[in-house]
Formats: sequence, C-alpha cells, structure tokens
Amino acid sequence: MKLEFNPRQDALRRELREYFAALMTPELAAECDESMGEGGGPLWREALRKMGRDGWIGVGWAKELGGRGMSPIEQFIFVEEIMRAGYPFPFLTTESVGPQLAEHGNPWQKQEIVPKILTGECLIAIGYSEPGAGTDLASLKTTAVRDGDDWVINGQKMWTSLAHFSDYVWLACRTDPEAAKPHKGISMFLVPTSDPGWSCTPVVTLGGVRTNATFYDNIRVPDTARVGEVNAGWKLITSQLNRERLSLVNFGPTAELFNQTVRWAQNTLSAEGARVIDQPWVQINLAKVRAGVEALKLLCYKQAWAMTEGQLQMADASAAKVYGSEFFIEVYRLLGEVIGQASLVHRHSEGAEPTASRLERLYRTASIITFGGGTNEIQRDIISAAGLWMPRASR
Amino acid sequence: MDFGLSEQQRDVRELAASILGEQVTAEKLARYDHYQQPRFDRELWAQLAEAGLLGVAVDEQYGGMGFGFFEAALLVEEAGRTIAPLPVISHMVSAMLPLSKFGSPGLKQAWLPQAVRGEVLLSAALTEPGNENPLSPTRCKASIDGENLLLNGEKHGVPFAQQSDRILLAADCEGENVVVLLDPRASGVSLHAIQVTHYEPQYRVVLDAVLIPPTDIVARGADAIELLRYSSELTTVATCAHQLGAADKAMRMTASYTAERKQFGVPIATFQAVGHRAANCFIDVECLRLNCYQAISLLDAGKGASLEVAIAKIWAGDVGHRVSYAAQHLHGGAGIDRDYPLWRYCTWLRHNELFLGGSARHLAALGEKIAAGEGFCA
Repeated sequence: MKLEFNPRQDALRRELREYFAALMTPELAAECDESMGEGGGPLWREALRKMGRDGWIGVGWAKELGGRGMSPIEQFIFVEEIMRAGYPFPFLTTESVGPQLAEHGNPWQKQEIVPKILTGECLIAIGYSEPGAGTDLASLKTTAVRDGDDWVINGQKMWTSLAHFSDYVWLACRTDPEAAKPHKGISMFLVPTSDPGWSCTPVVTLGGVRTNATFYDNIRVPDTARVGEVNAGWKLITSQLNRERLSLVNFGPTAELFNQTVRWAQNTLSAEGARVIDQPWVQINLAKVRAGVEALKLLCYKQAWAMTEGQLQMADASAAKVYGSEFFIEVYRLLGEVIGQASLVHRHSEGAEPTASRLERLYRTASIITFGGGTNEIQRDIISAAGLWMPRASR
Repeated sequence: MDFGLSEQQRDVRELAASILGEQVTAEKLARYDHYQQPRFDRELWAQLAEAGLLGVAVDEQYGGMGFGFFEAALLVEEAGRTIAPLPVISHMVSAMLPLSKFGSPGLKQAWLPQAVRGEVLLSAALTEPGNENPLSPTRCKASIDGENLLLNGEKHGVPFAQQSDRILLAADCEGENVVVLLDPRASGVSLHAIQVTHYEPQYRVVLDAVLIPPTDIVARGADAIELLRYSSELTTVATCAHQLGAADKAMRMTASYTAERKQFGVPIATFQAVGHRAANCFIDVECLRLNCYQAISLLDAGKGASLEVAIAKIWAGDVGHRVSYAAQHLHGGAGIDRDYPLWRYCTWLRHNELFLGGSARHLAALGEKIAAGEGFCA
C-alpha cells in the first residue's frame, strides 16, 4: 500500500498545473465567471478544443480510442487540476457518458462520437429526470417507439443541465411500457439537440446556475442513436451515475479554496491588529476543513485507483458522493465564518474580495449535489445494502 | 499509488485474523470484566509469539520477521477488531520499535530476541499525571549520579506495568530529555493499579530515587527527542489502527443485528432511519481507514508524517465516538446488555478516542501548523 503519487504522476501534475495556469487567461476566467461556472462561451469552447488538440482530455483513455493510454489515476489528476484552475470542465460528457459510449456504443458512436469527445468538439447533456420522475427514476414516461428502422421520441425532461449548448442528450426513454419491472423497459438514446422537435427553456437556480427543461416532440432518430440493447438501459444509467458521482466530489477545487482562505487569513489583520489566522477559533475551523479535505482526497484517489484495477465498488462510490457533497457545505460554512461578512458580498459588488465572493456563491450553489447525481438518501440505501449487507429499505 | 495490500501484508493480516478470530471469544473476554483479573491472555500471547507475529516488525538478526510498521499495524487492527486481551500496542509498537531503532546493540541483543519470543514483556510510559504530551516529560526528573541516573517522579496510565519486565520511560534530566529502560521491580519503584473504563491493566508508576545504570540508558538529548517523537507517532497511529478494527467490527455487528432484529414484522434494518445511521458509520469508518493507512504507510516508509498522524487521530477520535453511540443506539437494549458483546467495544472506542490526545487537542495542533504555513494542500 502506498497512497502517494509516483514521481511520474507528480511530474504530470506539475505539468498540468502550469498548463492550466497559462490556459486560464483573465479573459477566459471572466467568461467562465459570467457563465456561473458552467462554461459554454466562445473562449471556453476554444480552450476545450485546445485541450483536445494537446491530447489532455483523453490522457487516461486507451490509445485505440484516441487517448494517451495512461490510467484512470492520470485521468483523475487531469480533472482535478483543471477544476482546481477554475475551468468548468464538461466532466459529464468526458468522464461519465464518454466511457459508456466507448464501452457499450455501436460502431458509429465509437468512431464518430467518442473521438469528438476527446477532441473537445462534442458535448452531451444528461436526460434522466422528468417532472414526475426524480429519485424514482424508473418511473420515467418519455417514450421511444419503434417505427420501421427508426425510433420516434416524445416527452419532457427536467434539470437537463448544459443542454442549451450541448450537441446531444444522453436520453433515457421508455421502450417497453409493459415491462414487469419499470426499470427493465428503459433504453438509452443519443438525441441531437439540432432536431427541430427538440427545444429547451431555462430554469434559473439559487446558485445562479442555469439548468433546463427540455422537450422532445416527435423526434425521429435512426436505430444507430440507440446505445446498448433495447430495454437494457438501466445498467448504463447506473454505471454512468457511478462515474458521475466520482466527478461530482473532485477534491481539487476545495483544496484550492482552503489554500486561498489560509493565505487570506495569514495576510489579513483583525481589528485588534493580530493576523486573522492567529486566533484560536480560526485555526480550529481551518483544521476541521483540513482534516476533512484529507479524507476527501483519499476517498477520491482510492476510487481512481479502483477504476484502474477494474474494481470500483458501488458502496464506495456512494460513500464518496455522500461524504463529499455534505462536506462541501460544511467547508463553505467553516471558511465563511473565518472570512466573516465579506463572504456575503456578491462578486459584482464594489470592493468584493475574490476568495470571499467565491464563498458567497459556493454557499448558494452547494446544495445541488446532495440531491443531484442520485440523492443522498438513495446513496445511503446503497451503502447499507451493498456495503454492509443490510436488507434493502422498503419503498 | 496502490490502495491494495501486498501479498506479505495480506498473509500477516490473515494469520493474525485467524488466530485472534478463533481464540478471542466473548466467554473468554468476560473473565476480565470488572477487574476480576489483569486483562492479559498469556496463552494467546504465546500463540502469537509461536506464529512469529510479535516480531513481525523486528529485524531477522533479533529473531523477527524483518517486515515493517505496516505489518505490525495490521496485526494491531486485528487486535482491535477482536478487542483481544493482549498488550500488542505497548509491547510491539511503543517499546520494541523505538528500542529497535535507537537501542545500543547490547540492549537490543539483551531484550529484542526474548521480546519476540514472548518470554519477556515490554511496555512504555508515555503519559504523566496532568501531562499527556509524550514529547516533553515534566513530572519525571533524572539527576546524574556518577555514571548512573537517579529517577524521581511519576508516570500515569502505564499499560501492563506490573506484568512487564522493562518499561521504556522518559525523564527530564537537567533540561534535556533522557530515555531509559526501567525495571519495574527495581528498588524505589512502586506500582499502583488504576481501574480504567476498558479494563486494560494500567498503573501509576511512582519513582523514588530509582537507580538506572548506564547500560539501561537508551537515548539522551537530541536522540531522546527523536525517540520520543518516533514512539509517540507510532503509538498514536497504532491506536488509530486499533480504533479502526474496533469501529469496523462494532459497525458490522450493528449491521448484522439490525438485519435480524424484527419489529412491526420486518427487520429493523429495512427502516431508512436505521440504514442511514449505519451508512453514516460506513462512511466514517472508511474515512478513518484511509487516513489511518496513509499515516501508517508514511511512517513505514520513514517519511515525515506529523500532519497526517494528527489528522488520523482526529478521525479516530470522532469516528470512535460516533460509531460507538450509533452502534449502541441501533442495538437498543442489547447494546448495553452485559451479556451481549457490543459494550466492550464501546469502552475501547472511548479509550482509543482519548489516548494520546482527543480530537480537540489534535485539531488545535493541526490549526497551529496551518497558521505556520505547514498545512497547505498539495
């Protein structure tokens, strides 16, 4: 057992940190800031294509898929560093849907879509939730009906984040309304957002982040748009979610936020004239965050390692998601207390301090991932059943 | 980066788990309840020695297996999982490892082979009355008496002092630290048993002009400071490993109990309120496990790990407390019934939480490091 990076991985990390420091120009940072940390602007797109050209997006992907052939650990280092740099990386496309297409896709998906993902030219949003299907995802009603060689899709999805600038939606559709169990009648499709039957309306959230309601009105797609077998979509959904959960709780941005707050507290004087950081209660708050960040780091790295070994455990993925999502909220609270009322000031306000106003926004945004990506109640059900062999909770 | 155990580590763990899992039973543990007799199963101790496990981290030239601290910590974790009535931490970690690293060839030859064979028992006196910082002994003074030292003062909470043949002990010698091997039967030493919550035999050791010959002086000055840091960090992390084993077992006992216990016609584990509290324990134990293994592997590799040791102990304290109460609560009456084995785990979780500093003390130390610029995330 050795829980540190090897020298090659350390070198990769340094290289990436320098790469992103150069990539994140003030103009790009400002654009990302205005898009509330979700990207989609012209500079953001160009930066993504540049990363693709430079061979970074697929650093941990197999060479035959167009990657660099390193392991999931190197891939994780890449994602950690890019998120640490503050670039809103479309990890849902690259880290969760992409690998599903590479593994289960048909020749068109593998030869046309996957390479474009790795060159930063294809973005995919996720279409699971519906107005009546959230945690109980298997009750979804959007339908795909066979018509000759094609499928005709009708329905509505909710919380289709990033859809307004994505090329496709990874869409869960009911293909067998008669299935004995609802989750056995679901299939996955790649639906182009360019279709005239596709539309979306924005939903603005507390954190300022835009998400969408998306509508599917008689969209006709060829059978090549289907991913995996008919009525076998549930397995694709759950393995996509397992991968998504790991990306949601990446520790890079939190580590960076902690470091920034420490520097702020070292360089700022309190009213009494001493450094903010010399006050015992400040040190205790920072220590609580530091001890928690260490656990988050190890949980994340263990999963990257488990992916390398091909033994990602469901309970571990869920544990990381629950821990990380709830810890983030605690971090923003503890660090906000250190900074004080300055962490209530919006970044557009006169005299806003960057670290403080970042906390203002993060505190508003943080609740999303305790229920997004599979609500934490369901994650805890998974943990007690898959991790502790307790009988499954009744519904 | 490798989160898996090596083959050698798996072998040590399986050997320890099979011996302890088979030999430590609730019936046997009950013999030591309420201070009926010192909590030390000498027969089982001899079995571990026979299997070579007591010397798992000792050089082969002294009869050990020649493995490292990692393997020793895995044995400690198994001892925690079974709350075995054995002095694994005090003998193998607090005493033998510092002696191996800092002792003179003469001292090592005199004690290590016998200690590996289980023929002598060693311990270490790390804490004093009102002073739980092993790095700076203040209640124990050594004065120079020709070639010898004379010890006066007191140590508190010394595990297995009465049962030990030698105790590694630090004193303040005119402003500098000195570490000696004390014979607890020497003239001037008096031992007073303390009845502690988890029934481990512990003693107050009072020293009244105790003569230490030069051959029993292990380290002085800078060496002594380094020895104390080493033994303190190893013992702290070994305590975390013990806590990990104990917490993991208490959690799994709870999972099994709630899967079988029925109310309203169904296993109570199917209630989300129950399952979720157990899931919180799972997350907690995983956080403790990873932080504990990180500190172990860094110390095993001889790397500086004071930050990681403090973080591991914070998790050991918090997780021990939370798992203990969750396990008791979810067991209902069975959790506090002395005929059901859970309660013994709870007293050990409490001991491990506080031994060598609770979470608050380590958080404060970590906070000071952060303020000094030594706690940035890489």
